[in-house]
Amino acid sequence: MTKGARLAEWVAMYVASIVAALVLASVIIEATGGDWWPVMEALVDGSIMAPGRWGETLGVAVPLLLVALGTVISAKAGLINIGQEGQLLIGAAFAVYFSFLIGGPGPLNLVIIMLFGALGGAVWASVAGLLRFWRGVPEVLSTLLLVTVSAQAIGYGLKQDWLLLAPGGDRGNRNQVSSQLADDNRIPRPDIFGNEFPITVYLALAMALMVAYVLARTVWGFRLRMLGHNARAAQRAGVSSTAYGASALAIGGAFAGLAGAAMFAGGGFSFGNFQLVPGFSDNIGWTGLLVALVARERALPAVVAAFVFAGLRTGAGFVNSTGVESRITDVVQGLLVLALLVPPAVIFLRDRRRARAAATERV
Amino acid sequence: MIDSTTEMTGAGGNGPSAPAVELTGITKRFGGIVACDQVDLALHRGRIHGILGENGAGKSTLMKVLIGLVLPDAGAIRIDGQPRTIHDPLDAASLGIAMVHQHFSLVDQLTVWENVALGEGGRLSSSEVRHRVTAISEQYGLEIEPEARVGDLTAGLRQRVEIIKCLRRDPHILVFDEPTSVLTPEESEQLFSTLREVVATEGRAVVLVSHKLDEVLHATDEITIMRQGRVVARMPTEQADARSLARAMVGREVSLRSERAAFGLAELDDAGLESEPVSPTEQETASPALDSAGSALRIEGAAVRGRGGAVLLDDFSLELRAGEVVGVAGVEGNGQRTLGDVLSSLISLNAGRVVVNGVEVPAGSPGAMAKAGVAVIPEDRHDSGVVLDMTVAENLLMVNPNRVARHGVMDKRRMVETTQQLIEEFDIGCSGPDAPLWSLSGGNQQRVVLARELVAEPHVLVAAQPTRGLDVGAIEYMTDRLRQTAADGVAVLLISSELEEILDLSDRIVVMSRGRIVGELSRSDANLETLGLLMGGSEV
Repeated sequence: MTKGARLAEWVAMYVASIVAALVLASVIIEATGGDWWPVMEALVDGSIMAPGRWGETLGVAVPLLLVALGTVISAKAGLINIGQEGQLLIGAAFAVYFSFLIGGPGPLNLVIIMLFGALGGAVWASVAGLLRFWRGVPEVLSTLLLVTVSAQAIGYGLKQDWLLLAPGGDRGNRNQVSSQLADDNRIPRPDIFGNEFPITVYLALAMALMVAYVLARTVWGFRLRMLGHNARAAQRAGVSSTAYGASALAIGGAFAGLAGAAMFAGGGFSFGNFQLVPGFSDNIGWTGLLVALVARERALPAVVAAFVFAGLRTGAGFVNSTGVESRITDVVQGLLVLALLVPPAVIFLRDRRRARAAATERV
Repeated sequence: MIDSTTEMTGAGGNGPSAPAVELTGITKRFGGIVACDQVDLALHRGRIHGILGENGAGKSTLMKVLIGLVLPDAGAIRIDGQPRTIHDPLDAASLGIAMVHQHFSLVDQLTVWENVALGEGGRLSSSEVRHRVTAISEQYGLEIEPEARVGDLTAGLRQRVEIIKCLRRDPHILVFDEPTSVLTPEESEQLFSTLREVVATEGRAVVLVSHKLDEVLHATDEITIMRQGRVVARMPTEQADARSLARAMVGREVSLRSERAAFGLAELDDAGLESEPVSPTEQETASPALDSAGSALRIEGAAVRGRGGAVLLDDFSLELRAGEVVGVAGVEGNGQRTLGDVLSSLISLNAGRVVVNGVEVPAGSPGAMAKAGVAVIPEDRHDSGVVLDMTVAENLLMVNPNRVARHGVMDKRRMVETTQQLIEEFDIGCSGPDAPLWSLSGGNQQRVVLARELVAEPHVLVAAQPTRGLDVGAIEYMTDRLRQTAADGVAVLLISSELEEILDLSDRIVVMSRGRIVGELSRSDANLETLGLLMGGSEV
């Protein structure tokens, strides 16, 4: 198949499945007594059309993309990390703790926040890595279960003065909130064409390029992909599954942790308002995992996928204001996510079947 | 090239007894490749029909059409004279067509009888199934223990399970796809006598798909030869001889010596096999890098235990000198695979050590063997030899990507240059360095492995079943390369279950049984009989 035909096929599949999802969503909205047109309008307005909204969407896309990039790296090593939600939360907690512990002037503190965010995510993912390569515990289980542990740990930390809880006797209910990041320590959110978004957008884009480059062109990326495709061939060729696998998991976690730090220091009203609260991660880890799946575990397509998923999220905020029941909003959003997942799944299955047929044909 | 095709009696379908199966004008395209081009085929009850052809000749596709795995683009199928369409394997089963696949479809964790019962509808009666298994195995001489776990069985026994699975459904038409590629000579012999019985006493029709001349000559009643998707010849077996079959199959003359090993011709006259071993003195001058002991590879008292304490290698000691070819013969499943894995850094030793060129190499440490100069052509290249989802270039650079890298970044231009050179030198048929490996034929994938391993200038080359599943031309090429490699001063360890191949290539032969070496013979003392006795566990 030519490249053009393949691209056309992709576009056609996406259009078809998104239209199908929208039709189904409209039917559901009408059936539950709403009006479908205003809902659709609100979805588009809320994500890109209304003033300031695409900047907002970009801001949400940043952590999604970072999480997805980490997922791409661990997936390339053949590891199934599904604990990004927890790694992100721990990363954010590390960022909060060390930013207030060490302090410092604005830019320096931002560096501290980013570094310790990444470190936190890496440490949390490495717990799973340790279990996997020392004791053979499947990482798909340990990463998932560690999400629950992380939520409990953060809940505990947010009750302890010496950990994360904000000092402040002047508030009556001072439970479970960290200190707020000072104005001059926050990630700048410049205003461009009436849209403001954190400059971490550029960082995330640079990271996407870097991940794509490292995986495709460096010896390290080459060996990592070898490990993911055929662990035995890799072992014979000198790729240690422990060293490469554990570092891939740690790096994957670091990206999720970085996402947490970026949400803390640059998320604004979208995420926690510059302080750590329970539920701070707000499903960004799970959604980032979906972004990576939709992008079929490739870094550059993840950029587009992250923006689309972010748009669904910001758009949904507007949909709520149309008076449609919030459950229905969730259904609409879920249908659209599903529509985005269908084409890659169909193409993946078909390609694999073709590859197998070709392989058996030529054995 | 054979232009005139000899029509078989009754093949027209108008004779007194209609053929059990008649395929007419079967055509199947995959993209631009025509896998089957206007193929006609008639199978008769009570006869064994051999389908001979190289890999990619369209044999497998034709059989997949028959079994319902592939829908033909054109053509008709008649079963017992009735036109039929076979949409899927269930249709085929209901028409009494069953196939024993080249790659087994068994569940390792289940027992023999459970595997036989798999896929059956209705209530499962274990005693009934076990009884049937025993009955079938007695009737056809396919001895098997119904309670044995399939994962513990040798390839030959697994195939028996597959055959029993098929026979249990009482098929009229039985298709065997390359059945002997995993069998020892004795097991093959056993299989053919079973086939003979199935055909003679029960009037079933059997198809034997193969690229081995001797087994087609030996076991069939009629032969159809395919090349590049077409039928190029058909004839009754009694009119066929090895040479004309080989010519028709390949479309050109093949060299006699490789052909002999390639086709596994049973009758070997020792005189014709004289290879010219490199004399010991030449070996040493050829490779000045030898350690004082003069050995390229020394394995001392190696022991490996598998899961559950199974003995895989047991006090295994072997020494190879540079420039010599040592053949490891043995019934499959007696530790050969483990030996290959140890030398591929895939498993570590419970005891003993491996010394390469005078330096002890930590077994099981990733890449240690490759780094020490042990090249491997693995038994199953898809298992540890290649990465199907990577490109040809990447596969060629797997072991040493730093060859084309600067500061850890791979230089695309050098990568293409280096690999293009290898593709040309080893005549790897592919669309270029960026072609995904799975798009290559088996023979060309094997050349990728060979090219990568030889370009590393190894001290030792381990070739495990290097010609298994390859077509004639590829076998010839591989055999020549192995000889050349040894002549260049590399110690070659040839692990093979094809005795002819071992006799053809080796200077010295060791026989493995239960993870040990049970006998060692020089090439001049070895013949099929002595090897067979040793393999069977007898003293010589």
